[in-house]
Amino acid sequence: MANHCGGSKSTRRQKRRLRRKHHRESRGRPSHKHILLMGLPNVGKSAIFSRFTGIDAMVSNYSGTTVEFYEGQMDIEGETYLLRDAPGVYNLKDSQDDAERVAVNMLEDGPEAIIFVLDALNFESSLHLLLQVLEYNIPTVVSLNRTDLMKSRGMKIDYRALSERLKVSVVPTVALKTQSLDVLKYSISKVFDETITYDPPETDTGRWRAVETITHDVVKSPGENGDDRFSFLVKPLPGIPIALGVLALMFAFVIGVGMGTRQLLLLLFDGMIFPLIEQGVSAVVSEGAFRNVLIGEYGFLIKGIEWPFALVLPYVMSFYIMISILEDTGYLPRIAVLLDGLFKKIGLNGSSVIPILLGYGCGIPAIMSTRALPSKKQRLSVAVMVSFAVPCVAQSGAFVVLLVERSLLAFFAIFIVSIIAMILSGLVIDRFHRQKPPFTLMELPPLLLPKPKILSRKILFRIKHYLKDGAVPMVIAIGAAALLYELGVLIVVGDAMSPLVTGWLNLPSEASTPLIMGIVRRELTVLPLIDMDLTTAQFFTGALVALFYVPCIAMIATLAKEFSIRTSVAVFLFTTLAAFFIGGLFARSYELIGILFG
Amino acid sequence: MAERLSDTPHTIDTIGSLKRGEEGVIYDTPGMSLLASLGIRLGKRVRVLSKSLANGPLILMVDERSVAVDRSLAEEIFIRK
Repeated sequence: MANHCGGSKSTRRQKRRLRRKHHRESRGRPSHKHILLMGLPNVGKSAIFSRFTGIDAMVSNYSGTTVEFYEGQMDIEGETYLLRDAPGVYNLKDSQDDAERVAVNMLEDGPEAIIFVLDALNFESSLHLLLQVLEYNIPTVVSLNRTDLMKSRGMKIDYRALSERLKVSVVPTVALKTQSLDVLKYSISKVFDETITYDPPETDTGRWRAVETITHDVVKSPGENGDDRFSFLVKPLPGIPIALGVLALMFAFVIGVGMGTRQLLLLLFDGMIFPLIEQGVSAVVSEGAFRNVLIGEYGFLIKGIEWPFALVLPYVMSFYIMISILEDTGYLPRIAVLLDGLFKKIGLNGSSVIPILLGYGCGIPAIMSTRALPSKKQRLSVAVMVSFAVPCVAQSGAFVVLLVERSLLAFFAIFIVSIIAMILSGLVIDRFHRQKPPFTLMELPPLLLPKPKILSRKILFRIKHYLKDGAVPMVIAIGAAALLYELGVLIVVGDAMSPLVTGWLNLPSEASTPLIMGIVRRELTVLPLIDMDLTTAQFFTGALVALFYVPCIAMIATLAKEFSIRTSVAVFLFTTLAAFFIGGLFARSYELIGILFG
Repeated sequence: MAERLSDTPHTIDTIGSLKRGEEGVIYDTPGMSLLASLGIRLGKRVRVLSKSLANGPLILMVDERSVAVDRSLAEEIFIRK
């Protein structure tokens, strides 16, 4: 309460800073009054959270996205509480994974109240978890969720009877409807002083028995058994062809919409904005090095705008629109299951496909999402595969610009090489680190039509993330390159690297510039090549080197954070060596073929 | 186990032995809490929706949901046909 008492602005700010410090020191234990949101995975918890807090929480169907928990402010009758979104779990007893341990810790942090999301469609498992939560004796409001789906399946749950049985308030909700959320909020405001009077059974057998009797008494009509209209999606036939088709469509959409948008943006930039900038700068700055830094070869008022916003942004947008739709429909876990048997061959679970797909957007969320994988080895394996051979969307966009108009074949070849390299690196890691993959046991979330509101919020969130963490460093890197170029440093470095670049890769010595810039951003290994006068084979060599070359600095930092500095250094060295080796191998063999057949 | 087997006139087999589209009632499961939470518990009726490629998991329909169960695990779950 003391936190809310007035005081001058500066002391309040000081207190807030102290609180934040305290927050860090006590490992995330909030000193603020807080409410905990709990429930099974994939039951719409995140949707309730983002509606209550209005914070950009990521809402997704894939189990595991909430292992990093979210926290946000929520006002109840004039008082501010922290709402914490606990990871979705099935069980709290003898916790087996991080998510369960986090959930137990959060319960022990002493929340003022719990909002328990009871999934109408997973009624028994939800109830089983609820009985465990009630043991903690924390005032609880039950939100009986997905009542809309329940009704459409002809299922009836007597929530009043349930409330009487467990002696807690039960509010039927549809997670995204405002009115039911208002009722839920009202019930929370009334619950703080209540105590739990229900006496939950102590053993697991006892709990399941209680679950079954309560279910028997409360579920009036169990509904038709299961919705298997979409089960064809997980049958190898036609499931796998459909999955390939969906991915191909996604690819076509990303490239098509990206290219179209880029053309429009280029019209705007080349036709209006750049001439204006050039005129303006020329009028103010006299000819010389400084003007060149602004509008010359790497002039950062030109390239610094063109590359991040006109060339790359369109692909970032189209990719995130597509992957977010796929995530929110619940289709991704189905692809994971279809491919599980094949992934097992390289010692991985099918769920590895999700970080890999995310990697085609950006490597950083991809590496973070490996947290959901079941073993350390799998995490490392997938993170290395993504760092090594998966081009991020910015780089793929650059490949389109570089290759599509010259040779469609070369463009597709890059992606085929990428997939082969991924499989090979998976095999190699498995050889050195043999470990039986943990068995697959997962729920396939129901297929849903994505909700436009949540979907658009998610897409905007991701594009904002690109602008902040992707575009800004790119502008800075281009500015630095412009400066180094004018100072003659790039030429010196180019000369130093020239035996490697000209002798081994058959590229002009100016092509060493992108290799320096590429350390900062993945696509910068590709983009400077566009304006060079090269043959298709040379472009392909450049694209190959770029594909395997160091992932960006931010990814190296993420690897260090998620694994260890050793891992990140190893990936840095390995990718650089492999890039030059494979690029050179192609350049040499192409030359050889030319000599033999030309 | 032997006693329980003789109690029943039904055929006992593993889930792994079921063909696509076949059903069974769960008779015995390995003691894993996640299995129970996913609905794979004694007395539950399950149906095999599909068997994935390359020895991939079985997709089971239990109550209202689809659950993917590894082949090796499916060999340890017994059902009554």
